[in-house]
Amino acid sequence: MSQVFHDIEKKIITSLKDNPKQTPETLEKSTKLSPDQIRRGIEWLKLKELAIVNESKTSIVSLGKNGIESFQKGLPERRLLDLLKDGPRKLSDLQKNLEHVFGPAMGLARKNDWVDASSDQISLKTSPSELPGEKTLKQIGDNKLPQDKIDKNDLSGLLKRPDFIIEDIIKTKEITLTDSAKSIELSNSSGAIDVEAKVPEIFVARTHPLKDTIDEIREIFVTLGFSEILGNMTQSSFWNFDALFTPQDHPARELQDTFYLDGVSAKKIATPEQIRKVSESHKKNWHYYWDINEARRMVLRTHTTCVTIKHLAENKPDEARVFSLGRVFRNEKVSYKHLVEFNQIEGVVVGKNASLRDLMGIQREFYRRIGITKIKFWPTFFPYTEPSLQTMVYNERLEKWIELFGMGIFRPEVTKPLGITKPVLAWGGGIERIAMLKYGLDDVREFYNNNLSWLRSATKCQ
Amino acid sequence: MPVVELSYLRLQKLVGKVTKKQISDSLPFLGLDIESEDKDLVRIEYSPNRPDYSTDFGIALGLQGLLGIETGAVKLNVKKSSKYAISVKSEVSKIRPFVTGLVAKDGKIDDKTIKQLMAMQEDLHFGIGRKRKKSSIGIHDLDKISFPLVYTTSNRNHRFIPLNSEKEISISEILTSTDVGKDYGYILGNSSKVPLILDAKQKTVSFPPIINAAVTTVTTKTKNLLVEITGINKEDAEDMLSVVATILQSAGFTLESVQISGAKNSSPKLEQKKMSVSTSLVNQILDLNLNASKIISSLKKSRLDASIKDKNIICTIPAYRFDIFGPMDLVEEVALGYGIQNLEPTLSPSETIGQTNPVSMQLKSLNQIMIGLGYLEALNSSLTSKRVLYEMTNKDSKNIISVLDSKSQEHTILRDSILPGLLENLSRNIHESYPQKLFETGTVFATDNLISEKINFSSISAHQDANFTEIKSVLQSALKTGFGIKIETKTATHPTFEEGRCATVTVNSKSIGVIGEINSKIIETYKIRVPVVGFEISLSESILKSL
Repeated sequence: MSQVFHDIEKKIITSLKDNPKQTPETLEKSTKLSPDQIRRGIEWLKLKELAIVNESKTSIVSLGKNGIESFQKGLPERRLLDLLKDGPRKLSDLQKNLEHVFGPAMGLARKNDWVDASSDQISLKTSPSELPGEKTLKQIGDNKLPQDKIDKNDLSGLLKRPDFIIEDIIKTKEITLTDSAKSIELSNSSGAIDVEAKVPEIFVARTHPLKDTIDEIREIFVTLGFSEILGNMTQSSFWNFDALFTPQDHPARELQDTFYLDGVSAKKIATPEQIRKVSESHKKNWHYYWDINEARRMVLRTHTTCVTIKHLAENKPDEARVFSLGRVFRNEKVSYKHLVEFNQIEGVVVGKNASLRDLMGIQREFYRRIGITKIKFWPTFFPYTEPSLQTMVYNERLEKWIELFGMGIFRPEVTKPLGITKPVLAWGGGIERIAMLKYGLDDVREFYNNNLSWLRSATKCQ
Repeated sequence: MPVVELSYLRLQKLVGKVTKKQISDSLPFLGLDIESEDKDLVRIEYSPNRPDYSTDFGIALGLQGLLGIETGAVKLNVKKSSKYAISVKSEVSKIRPFVTGLVAKDGKIDDKTIKQLMAMQEDLHFGIGRKRKKSSIGIHDLDKISFPLVYTTSNRNHRFIPLNSEKEISISEILTSTDVGKDYGYILGNSSKVPLILDAKQKTVSFPPIINAAVTTVTTKTKNLLVEITGINKEDAEDMLSVVATILQSAGFTLESVQISGAKNSSPKLEQKKMSVSTSLVNQILDLNLNASKIISSLKKSRLDASIKDKNIICTIPAYRFDIFGPMDLVEEVALGYGIQNLEPTLSPSETIGQTNPVSMQLKSLNQIMIGLGYLEALNSSLTSKRVLYEMTNKDSKNIISVLDSKSQEHTILRDSILPGLLENLSRNIHESYPQKLFETGTVFATDNLISEKINFSSISAHQDANFTEIKSVLQSALKTGFGIKIETKTATHPTFEEGRCATVTVNSKSIGVIGEINSKIIETYKIRVPVVGFEISLSESILKSL
């Protein structure tokens, strides 16, 4: 596989092939790239392990004010010795000639025994052909030179003298190619970029994963011929319980299972005929005093069945497929498997030929469409359906059978008082449980935590 | 759902000629869910409409039927006896008017049987007894009792030695100092008199519905039993008795009658009832083509008796099957006897054309628009807390709608707006990368004329450069694209928003919501370190169209 390089990288590699050790500055010159392009290019090549960058510190020396003067006119001591070449001179004469450098020149000359000084007469004893420091002064001149290119001994004297030498520490980068880079053949095609490089992560905006499941389920039932109806989450006990043949002293109606609204009672709950017939059915079958005030108490619906039964009681269709989907409530302790509020879908089929096997068939088709094929039906009990079944589905990940939708045929004790004459198949269940299987969650609370790390990462298409 | 704990070995003995696997495979098809298994022990959930499944004796009857080992209805053989009688005094009428009972003789009672009977009693009390309010049972050692008995009342200072006690204490003490007294004393209300069953020697037998006397305690040495049931109506008390009678007979006891009389009471009949179902109803509901004899054999497997008369199946139903109300219940019994696993699902073509509700469709479109604008959908509970809804957002809580006795502190009131929940969501995600842009559509609640439900739409944006202009652009674009609606914003103040950075949202001069930069104090309290802007509008009144 041939590697793809950016133009910048190509230019740098080419230049380094010609001239293997370079600094960013030399590369700038040879490639005609900007300092920033060079910097980026070197960084890319380094990450790909194609370039080695050696960083080093170099001491650079140049001449200071006194150094420059000595470079131009000669060292003070040289100037003194030159003045004495033609014979002894008077001290005052030398002072006048050498001005401010007379002192240092005289000091060095006497210390090194180059001159003889008696009263006010100075005479030359010996004049060395090269004085310490003269070689270095010439070498540096107007330039800046790395310290390691200069004779250390010769420099050391100058370093001690004020304003002769300026030292600068300069960081330099030396760039070389790695062995693998040296063998790279650069293709001539241009415009290609490094498609293998890592890119920054961006997060999609999306619908909530649970909403996706809800929409998917809604669509399946619509395509199976069901129409969606909406209803309130707050309902009178009459429609949530009484109309569904759940006696007023039934344990499910207690505060510990159902949310009652504090101080809210419905004024008009149903037609007088509906109330009369429902209450009669209760009295006859459950032998107790039916209290209309109990039926007026407002609850947060414990199932969406209250919406469908109300719809059927109002419309009394001979032929219908409707469903209701939405939040339902149970007064439970919140845990990894229980929420106080979750979504339920509940649907009914009305028809003179509606049968239990049809009901099972609709369930099987629904499960097939959400990808569940291993299912079985078990008998169960609901206060308002007879016969009643539940679906068990096999989950491969958990390696066990899980209870999903419940179903049954509305009891005559439910339908007759409300004037519904045809058999009504009813089915329904929680949606979160299906979504948990879909997203592989073990904690149902995750759906309502709005934890961005999960929302941003949960796989959408499955 | 009530739970019963059983031993496979005991069940195998009771059912006869059956393997453990056959039992565990069949239980679900009686409507019994296996909750857990541990070697020989199995815990089973049963439906509250079948109190006969509260013991292994009752479950064995069901299994025998389903497996074809013994089918047909269980007949109760109650020997008529004049030795045992309870007379009822009229003063009980206002408190707990009815008593019924029977005698069970010559049974073998081991520890496990006692355990099963105790569990049955508890389940019957809780379920059909409605926590002893409707009816309650006392089971006694018959040989410790002198007949006839009297069901009467006494004062609260009456004294006797109650079950599990060694000394005599008064009724008042029982009600205030024992667990059962404290749990069930409320059933008796404030009446100065309480019900009591006394024997011929004036010894206390039972103080219903609270506790029995210690003297009649059933032990492994007990051979003969007296069962008495008291209650507020005769039918329910006799229903309960029929379950106990069936179980005791299955446990090997011989039943004898107890004469009951006085104050509108009479001896229990525990009669079978007759009910008919047409073969056509069975075949219509199950979509099968069963002939009468197949229907009859299926019913027998469900432990009922049946015969054919014209095109109707006449069914004989034992008294303990009071869950059977009418023909549809018999259809279910046929289905169970036939075997639910033998019913093949069919998919009939739909006679109707399905349709998504227009409101759902519009909300789905709005979701798509918000996603196009770069917003992530959040979902929050409608049942929330005062802290999230009012305290954190500075809002006035005078129109609060609360639920009674919530088990969760976080879920006590219904939300009147969505935005506070979204703010709470931001506060839980401060370690995640920004920008964070959320939206939610959902139901909110208000108390005007009872209670009303509306659909609101709220959105929130949090990042370093979040500002009013951005969020107004989003709302403007969402409503224009979604509904062709033009919004205007008018300067306003709102406790959740920063003063001078807040406006009401109006459509055709009608206010539909609020928009602005979130109050910096709220952001600070929530420890959010970037500016937050948001809006909340109502979709119900002038935006969503319904059919």
